[in-house]
Amino acid sequence: MRNFIHASIEGSKAALQSIFSHAMRSALTTLGIIIGVSAVITVVAVMSGLSANISKQLDDLGSDMVTIKAYTSPNQEMLGFFNRMSFDDFLALKGKIKNIDDITVRIPPFSLGSKVQFGRNSSQTQIIGTDSSYKNVINIYPELGRFLSSSDDLRRRRVVFIGSSLVKKLKMPENPIGEFIKLSGDWFRVIGVAETRGSLFGFDQDNYIITPFSTIRSLNGNQVTDNVEVLFRPKASAKLSDIIVQMRQILRQRHKLSEDDGERFEFVTAEKTKEQFTSITTSVTLVASGVVGISLLVGGIGIMNIMLVSVTERTKEIGIAKALGATPQFILMQFLMEALVLSLFGGIIGLILGYGLAALIAVFMPGSSSVIVPLWAIWLSFGFTTTIGVVFGLAPAVKAAKLHPVDALRYE
Amino acid sequence: MEVTQRVSEQEKVISLTNITKYYPMADEDFYALKNINLTINKNEYIAITGPSGSGKSSLMNILGCLDHASSGEFYLSGKNIANHDENTLAKIRNKAIGFIFQSFNLLPRMSVLHNVMQPLVYRFISNAQRVALASEALTRVGLAGKLSSLPNQLSGGQRQRVAIARALVTKPAIILGDEPTGNLDSKTTAEIMAMFDTLHQQGHTIILVTHEQEIADHCHRVIRLVDGEITSDISKNVQHSENNHEQRSLYA
Repeated sequence: MRNFIHASIEGSKAALQSIFSHAMRSALTTLGIIIGVSAVITVVAVMSGLSANISKQLDDLGSDMVTIKAYTSPNQEMLGFFNRMSFDDFLALKGKIKNIDDITVRIPPFSLGSKVQFGRNSSQTQIIGTDSSYKNVINIYPELGRFLSSSDDLRRRRVVFIGSSLVKKLKMPENPIGEFIKLSGDWFRVIGVAETRGSLFGFDQDNYIITPFSTIRSLNGNQVTDNVEVLFRPKASAKLSDIIVQMRQILRQRHKLSEDDGERFEFVTAEKTKEQFTSITTSVTLVASGVVGISLLVGGIGIMNIMLVSVTERTKEIGIAKALGATPQFILMQFLMEALVLSLFGGIIGLILGYGLAALIAVFMPGSSSVIVPLWAIWLSFGFTTTIGVVFGLAPAVKAAKLHPVDALRYE
Repeated sequence: MEVTQRVSEQEKVISLTNITKYYPMADEDFYALKNINLTINKNEYIAITGPSGSGKSSLMNILGCLDHASSGEFYLSGKNIANHDENTLAKIRNKAIGFIFQSFNLLPRMSVLHNVMQPLVYRFISNAQRVALASEALTRVGLAGKLSSLPNQLSGGQRQRVAIARALVTKPAIILGDEPTGNLDSKTTAEIMAMFDTLHQQGHTIILVTHEQEIADHCHRVIRLVDGEITSDISKNVQHSENNHEQRSLYA
């Protein structure tokens, strides 16, 4: 053990000396590792930043929110079916389910006309028809003015609550409360502006108009409003799966579905959406890491190659060291340490470069404002580079250790 | 007092019994050394000489523990080391043998001080001790002022003195020179040989492998090898100072 520690310490000193006296060659040798590690770190940092961002946004939406949508299976679609959920379904659920805090209905985004006008300016937007409970279910707060009230629902008022980007897009006054905008030929009064949410994947989350469901219904008739989505938030004490079972039963009864009929409604939870996103980012990270893992392997082979050349080149030096009393064990440790130090240097430089690169990407890529290098990625790269150093350093080190002193001394 | 000193002077450092070295060849094994029997005592000043291919290098490699004999017994300071493994041999080389080579074999990238410290790197001693021992050895060879020079900034004679310091720094039982003056001019050769003389007077055991008669004449015992066998082993009267003086004048 004492021999081993001694050989490691003295071996690393000799290794450092050798690395710095051939700085250029050492840098080129470890280039593969530098590129490999920086690529891994960049990919992981960007993906983690993105993933954290998405999680945060989904949490803002309310992590316990559930959306119920009509579901048409691919088979039915091919047969020309299109399942719907009606406003009456919503009313049935609202009346019968007890364990929920809030329940609301909305006309699915993008199913209404999307052109909005203010004065001479017009813009495309997303129109959502819903009721006053909506703000409680999806955590939407007014920056200015107020959200829809139950009397707006009741009186079918022509009022709108708008996302903050529309104020800029339509060049409205800074406080647009009381201004009128035009939606498919009808005038609506602005009663509130929402807090800014920011963008996700470059998609502006503040470009929308919310208007009472009842108003849309009175203007467009039942055709548009007979395909709705229901959103609800279960009570904290309630078990979500029980509620879903109950709701599904009510809906299936209303639609007169037999046991043989497949699923016609889907229950989408924020948790589920988050899982989907996480699985996407995880698989992208894994694939990218796999690809750069190969580059690390190539980097390791580069180190081995140069080390093998270096052993041949330094045969005489090894012979002298052996004549002066260096044991094979010592020579082995010296060359192993050299490979290890080279690949660790590569790892450290790669880590710094990768972090810088990720930060740079974050600046130019909207939706990933933060760069996160998870601790596991750092440990993994160090583990990997250490392994590469040892595995690919072993062959040259063994070659050096095995040299016969007489032959090595005679080598010119 | 007299008697004990004489006994210690006769202390065996090296004893070879029936040492044979052969290299396997395609048709027939090549015998570099054939049944060598040799005893070397403490503070002897020996030249091993002979023509090219006589086996003197093979003998030096075995004496220096760089190579194993094919058969026979090798006692170094009373211990049989014929069958030791490479790790043990390396430790013996480090402890007991100081090498001096024809081509100096200094490491070009290291300073003089670090070159001399190198054998100490393989020992469990502190860096401060290494520096102290190496500086002391360099002072002994008259290079105290060149500690931080690089080998290529020195003359041939100075380089060989660095190599001698490196051999001395471990306080070895024997100093083994392989054609130590082979790359030097006659004036520098005289300097280096004078240094060996001094080291011998200080009590070191010195073995020089050489094919130069002048160097061999300098030593007190000359072992001549021809075709792997000792053909002559002549000890001179070491007390004869006039003889020494005469030899020195050869290089003047």
